[in-house]
Formats: sequence, structure tokens, C-alpha cells
Amino acid sequence: MGHEGVGFKSGSTRSGLPTTRSRVPRGRQIQKTFNNVKITVLCGFVTLLVLRGTIGVGNLTGSTLESEDQRVVEDIDRILREIRTDSEPEPQDPLSSLYFANSTAHNWTYAEAVEAVNYSLGPKISDWDQQRQVWLSQNPNFPNRLLGKHRILLVTGSPPNPCDNAIGDHYLLKSTKNKIDYCRLHGIEIVYNMAHLDKELAGYWAKLPLIRKLMLSHPEIEWIWWMDSDAFFTDMAFELPLEKYKNHNLIIHGYPDLLFEQHSWIALNTGSFLFRNCQWSLDLLDAWAPMGPKGIVRELAGKILTANLKGRPAFEADDQSALIYLLTSQQDKWMSKVYVENSYYLHGFWAGLVDKYEEMIEQNHPGLGDERWPFVTHFVGCKPCGSYGDYPVERCLNSMERAFNFGDNQVLRLYGFAHKGLVSPKIKRVQDQTSDPLQVKEKLDMAARITM
Amino acid sequence: MLERCIGERRLRQIQRGVQNMKLTFLCLLLTLLVLRGTIGAGKYGTPQQDFIELRQRFISHPHRALAEQNQPEPKPKKSDKDDEPPLRSLNDPYSLGPKISDWDSQRADWIHRHPERPNFLTKTKPRVLLVTGSSPKPCENPVGDHYLLKSIKNKIDYCRVHNIEIFYNMALLDAEMAGFWAKLPLIRALLLAHPEVEFLWWMDSDAMFTDMAFELPWERYAPYNLVMHGWDEMVYKDKNWIGLNTGSFLLRNCQWSLDLLDAWAPMGPKGPVRTEAGKILTKTLKDRPVFEADDQSAMVYLLVTQKEKWANKVYLESAYYLHGYWGILVDRYEEMIENYHPGLGDHRWPLVTHFVGCKPCGKFGDYPVERCLKQMDRAFNFGDNQILQMYGFTHKSLASRRVRRVRNETSNPLEVKDELGLLHPDFKAVQHHAS
Repeated sequence: MGHEGVGFKSGSTRSGLPTTRSRVPRGRQIQKTFNNVKITVLCGFVTLLVLRGTIGVGNLTGSTLESEDQRVVEDIDRILREIRTDSEPEPQDPLSSLYFANSTAHNWTYAEAVEAVNYSLGPKISDWDQQRQVWLSQNPNFPNRLLGKHRILLVTGSPPNPCDNAIGDHYLLKSTKNKIDYCRLHGIEIVYNMAHLDKELAGYWAKLPLIRKLMLSHPEIEWIWWMDSDAFFTDMAFELPLEKYKNHNLIIHGYPDLLFEQHSWIALNTGSFLFRNCQWSLDLLDAWAPMGPKGIVRELAGKILTANLKGRPAFEADDQSALIYLLTSQQDKWMSKVYVENSYYLHGFWAGLVDKYEEMIEQNHPGLGDERWPFVTHFVGCKPCGSYGDYPVERCLNSMERAFNFGDNQVLRLYGFAHKGLVSPKIKRVQDQTSDPLQVKEKLDMAARITM
Repeated sequence: MLERCIGERRLRQIQRGVQNMKLTFLCLLLTLLVLRGTIGAGKYGTPQQDFIELRQRFISHPHRALAEQNQPEPKPKKSDKDDEPPLRSLNDPYSLGPKISDWDSQRADWIHRHPERPNFLTKTKPRVLLVTGSSPKPCENPVGDHYLLKSIKNKIDYCRVHNIEIFYNMALLDAEMAGFWAKLPLIRALLLAHPEVEFLWWMDSDAMFTDMAFELPWERYAPYNLVMHGWDEMVYKDKNWIGLNTGSFLLRNCQWSLDLLDAWAPMGPKGPVRTEAGKILTKTLKDRPVFEADDQSAMVYLLVTQKEKWANKVYLESAYYLHGYWGILVDRYEEMIENYHPGLGDHRWPLVTHFVGCKPCGKFGDYPVERCLKQMDRAFNFGDNQILQMYGFTHKSLASRRVRRVRNETSNPLEVKDELGLLHPDFKAVQHHAS
């Protein structure tokens, strides 16, 4: 007890002689240490609080430059959010008011739904061929042929909002450049659509009202060529063999056996096809459209399509399945004017093509358009603009880059350049400059083999 | 006295206790003060908020994901360094290519041999190639590519209506002339590869067409080879570095232009050449800040120092906005819609709205990001409305991406004329014999 008192006194008053410390027992020492630790911890805690209150947690982990970066990024994120709230509201199902009226009892059939919605692409026109002929004869300055070739209008587009995935916009840009290049080389005009012309026919169906509108506005155009935004031209020298299609009005890539025998939902591809500007096409569009209106019509139509087409998963009606169903169920009415093309890749499914580009460069040359040098490489299922595709993102993006460069090499050769590799954005000179460039140009053959 | 009451031992216990209490109270007081000062304001919240903030910082951010996707294949830094050309020394002259002295006759021969590709589409309208471009790599800014896409759509629309061809460049033809100088080797390559092109129209990627009905006055330019927006007094008298603008200009395909490009290029090569040239430019030109040589200042310098050689073939256009600085235009669009109409091209309805300094592809421009992007949307919609009206639609407002119908469908579509007459305008008509 006496010891205790002595030890305590010396510790607190600091007047104790050094010699007294050595006589402090273990227990006391531990307790003192413990006290010290307590105080240290307490002070440390207070310090942290103060620092947190002044500097902030985030900034403790970064420099000022990064914080400026962070602010810009936050700004951009906020702007993106604002932009996305300006997007189209979900179109209201035109039949929704009727549901509540006839609530539980009624089970709508497709036919009933179509009749109730009564959708139409526009007022019925029956004399378009004559109207067009008259206009063309009155407007010789807007002929339907240029240099002997029928005028073609390539139509493509994308939604007006930024892609969910930023890299998607980059590939839309590259895809657009790719189309600009092909069309410049072949004298084709381009319309790039970013507007929702018809709220009911949204999504993949949006091409129908757009095609109709362009046909009726441009009588000087003979062919309207719809092309998806995820399709790339990979043969810059290939020219469409339009003479083959003298007696046809719809040119579409597909396989007749898949279409007529198997009724497969992928027998045709509506990602790249041509419509002649004529009455027949207007009639086909009118016959095609009924399955399109968003809501109950599209859902019920989807069930019919899944039931009738081989391999089709269950989902709402899409334009491709609807067209296949229409052409197979009304074969006699339409098929005589439809050309199912598979002698070249008017649409070429990417997965089977992109790995063979190097082999093609070595063994073949542009201008063939078929499996030796595909005309179009179409990235079906990749959906780089959205958040979810059917294939791994890396593979898709890598392949799109390769396809773009494969096509771009055929454009750059006009200027004496080529990409360093099919994945590289960098280019190298493959032909020296000369003081006689037109001699080189005269000898240049777009269909000659490519050297890389 | 207290000692005698309680007892020594007891007293010490109490003293110890009091010391402890003192310490505790002190710390508590400090804690309260601090907490009151920080959490009391309500700004910095709970540890959960901290956790969220930390998580956001370190776990994948969309911006970060974009940066990762920037390189689909890992590129070792070393090979990048090998690609960089050695910096040119000051006494090693740069050349765009082998000297050509007879381009006019070479070109005339070629055009003669190829009547199917004439250099004039009608008596007065030349064949024009609009040239623009951007980097082959994704933008650092996640919305940058979206605005590049809208910008090219805007150009596609104008050029379709006016029968102009487009070349969108994504290739760096000469690594020495990187940055704003990249257009020079590109322009030369295009002039030489396309003898059928009479005028090459360079346009920056951040410039948008806002008057779809305005056709350039080609006859006015018959005696000239280079047309830029600018003012004679500001260039030749003031020597002002923004007396003209090289963001949107016309260059005729001829020997004179090749010579001009050769005279313009020397200040361009990256490195000491460009830096030193920049100093000369800042010294000579009015109001120019200090930075490396840029193509615009170099053009002013060239015209000022070699006026007798070049000026007679250069037209500085200020009657309409071949280039229109966005800052003074974008807030007036509603006023323009109310008071004027397309086809004027000038301050009443600008042909081109040029977003100088915005740099939507990069992360930092000279202006706040929000103002730039919002105004680019407005400029795009302002121009797009003139295209949509051809088909009977318009944007719901200048800020909205949504459209509404303004003209009903009819069963006699060919009797309906679009208000601006852009569906089949005179300047798109082909000469009858060409078909």
C-alpha cells in the first residue's frame, strides 16, 4: 500500500527522483501504459475528426489535379443524366384505355388488337407509279439515273441520345465514316436518321415509316437501301449488280431453303436490303406494318411469329420475323418480285468472317463481295451502343475495329497509305509520293490485291 | 483537514479519480467542439457516406471503363516511342512532298480524258469536296464521340442538299504535322488524288451548319483560289492573329494552292521548329498569346509578310458566316427564328456556327463543359429543323431531341412543297446532258 502511494505520487507530480522509478512494480507500469494508450487513441480520434471535417475523406486519397478531373467527370455525368431524361417516354399502348373498359373477361386476339389499333403508315396511295412518272417527266433536272446508273439512297440511323456505353458512339462514328467512304466511291446519297418519326413504330420497326417517307419525298430516287448502323462495308470495290434486279422490287439477303422449307426466323436479314421506289413497295410496307405497333399488338404478333417460325425465341414481334412470315404466308402475292440474294454478302454475319481477313488479304482481292472478300460485315447481336449484347464486349469491339480497318485500307490505298495492322489506328505509307500523281492514279485499280 | 476526515488512502483514491475525470472531461469537451464544428453543419455525414464515396472512387466508373476500352489490345509503350519521328532541327527544311510545277496542265489533261467526272457540275457550280475529320481513338470525354456523330450527320445533311462530296479523315498522314497542322498533308494528298475536285472545303469537326438553305456564291470566287472568313483590315493592317479563321475555308485545286501549301507548311513540324516559329508569330501578330505555332497564325503571317505574292488570289469573306464564332450566335437563335429565315447565311441566320475552344472530344476546353454541350445541341437542332421540315417534322424545342409532326401525310405527296424548297433545290439540279 505504501508502495502504491509512493509510485503514484512520483508519476503525477514529476517531482520523483529517477531512482524511484525502478522500484515501480509491473502492475503499475502496465496500468500507466494503458492510460497513455487510452489518451493517445482519444487524441488520434479527435485529430481524425478534425481532418475529416476540414479536408474531406476523398481528397485525402488524391491530388488536386485528380480532384479537378473528378469535377469535370461529375459535370459530364450530370449532363448525361439530364440528356437521358429528355428521351422519348414509353409510348402508350393505344389499347390500354380499352383494357380497363373491358377488364378481366376479354382475351384479345391478334386480329382484334390490330383492328382496334387500326394503325396505318399513312393515307393509302394507289397510283404512286403514275404520280412518280409524271413528276420525273416534269423535272428533267432530277432524273432517276445518273451516268446511266439508277439513283440509290442509303438510309441508316441511330437513336438521338448518347449511347449507354460511350464506346458505342465511337463505333457509330466509324461506321458512318465507312458508309460515307463507300457511298462517295459509288455515287450514292446518304440519309442519317436520328428522329423518332412515329412513336408507335419505335425500335427496329422505325425503318418502315422512314423508308416510306423518303420514297414519297424523293421520286428521283430509284432504290432505297436500308442499312443497319452496326453493318460495315468491307468491299469498297464491289458494285451492286442492279441489272440482275430489273424485274424485282425487294432485294434482300437470305436463303430460299431456310425460307420456304424451314420457315426459319433467320432465313432473311433486314439489316441491309433494297426497296424499289414504286407502288409495289408501298403496298408491301402497308402489309408489313400491322405487327409493328408497340404494346399488345406487338406482343400478340410475337406469339404468332414464335409459333410459326423455326428457331424463334419468345419475344415481341420484330420486323425481320414479320417480313419472313408475311412473305411465306402470302408467297403468291409477293415472292415474284422479291430477289433472295446470297451470291454475295449483301449482309454478312460477322462471326464467320472477321477472323479470316488476313487470309483474304493474302489470297484474294476486293471486288468479289462474297465469302472470299465480303461486301458487308454485319455485327448482329453486338449492340455496342447499349448495355447488353449477345456476345462478349471485347470480342465485338476488337472485331469491329478490324472490319473498319479492313475496309479503310481499301480507301487509304488511293492516297498511298494502309493501316499498320488490322487493329491499329496508325497508318504507314505503302506508296512513295511522286511528282506525277495522276499517272499513278490512272493505273490504280480498286479491285487489285491489297498489300499491307 | 480532509485527510483527517476520510483517510489518506481514500484521499488519494479520490484524487486519482478526479484526475481521471478531469482528463475525460477535457477530451469530451474537445470532441464535442470538433463534432459541432463539422458534423453539426450537416455537410459531412456518416461513415456510410464515406464508404460510398470511397467505393465510387475506386470501383469502375464509366469514364474509367472507357479509358480501359481505349486500347483493345495492350500496346507496349516502347513501340509507341519507336513510332515517334525524331524532332526536326531548325536548319532541316520540311517538305510536304516532291515538288510539282505543272499541276495545272497535269490536271487539265486528266479532266479532258475523263469527261464522266467533270470539275464543274453546272456552268457556275464547281465540284466541291468537304473535308473534315477526327482522331481514330475514342474521345477522352464520354460524350465527345456522340457530338462528333451529330456533327457529321449535320454535314452529311448540308452536303446532300447541296450536292457536295464528303471526306471524313481519321488518319494521321504525317506524324510531324500532328495537331492543327494535320490538315496540310491531308489537303495536299486529296488535291493530288482528286483532280476532278475544283474546290476543297476544309471544315473543323466542331463547326456545324446552321443555314441549310444557303448556297455559297461560287461566281464571286471565280478569280480567287483561297477563300477564308476574315477582314482585310484586321489581317493586313492590324496583323491580328484572329483576323481570319482556318476552321472553315475553300482552296482551289491548282498549282497556286500547292505552292501556298508549301509556303505555309514550314512552321508546322513538331518540336523546336514549331516552338521557335511560335515565338516569331507572337512577336509579329497582334494579341497573340504565347504558344507554339498554329496554322491560323502562320497563315496570317504568310499573307502579311508575302502580301504581293499571295494576296491577289485570297478572298477574305465577311459578308456571311463561312465561319461563325458561336459565342455571339447561339443565344440569338430564337430571335432569328422569329425575325428571319434560312438562306441568308449572315448574322441574321448564320451559315456556320463554329464552337471554337469547346473541345468536346477532350476533357478540358476553354469554356465550361455544360455551356458548350447545351449550345451544341441547340445549334444542331437549329440546323436539323431545316432538314426535318422537308419531311414534315420539327424538334419540340431547340433543346429537345424529340420531334413532332408539323405537316400531315397526304395521298398526293408530290403536290406538297417543303417550305424552304430543299427537297429539289436549284443548286442540286444536274445538268440535263450529264444524266
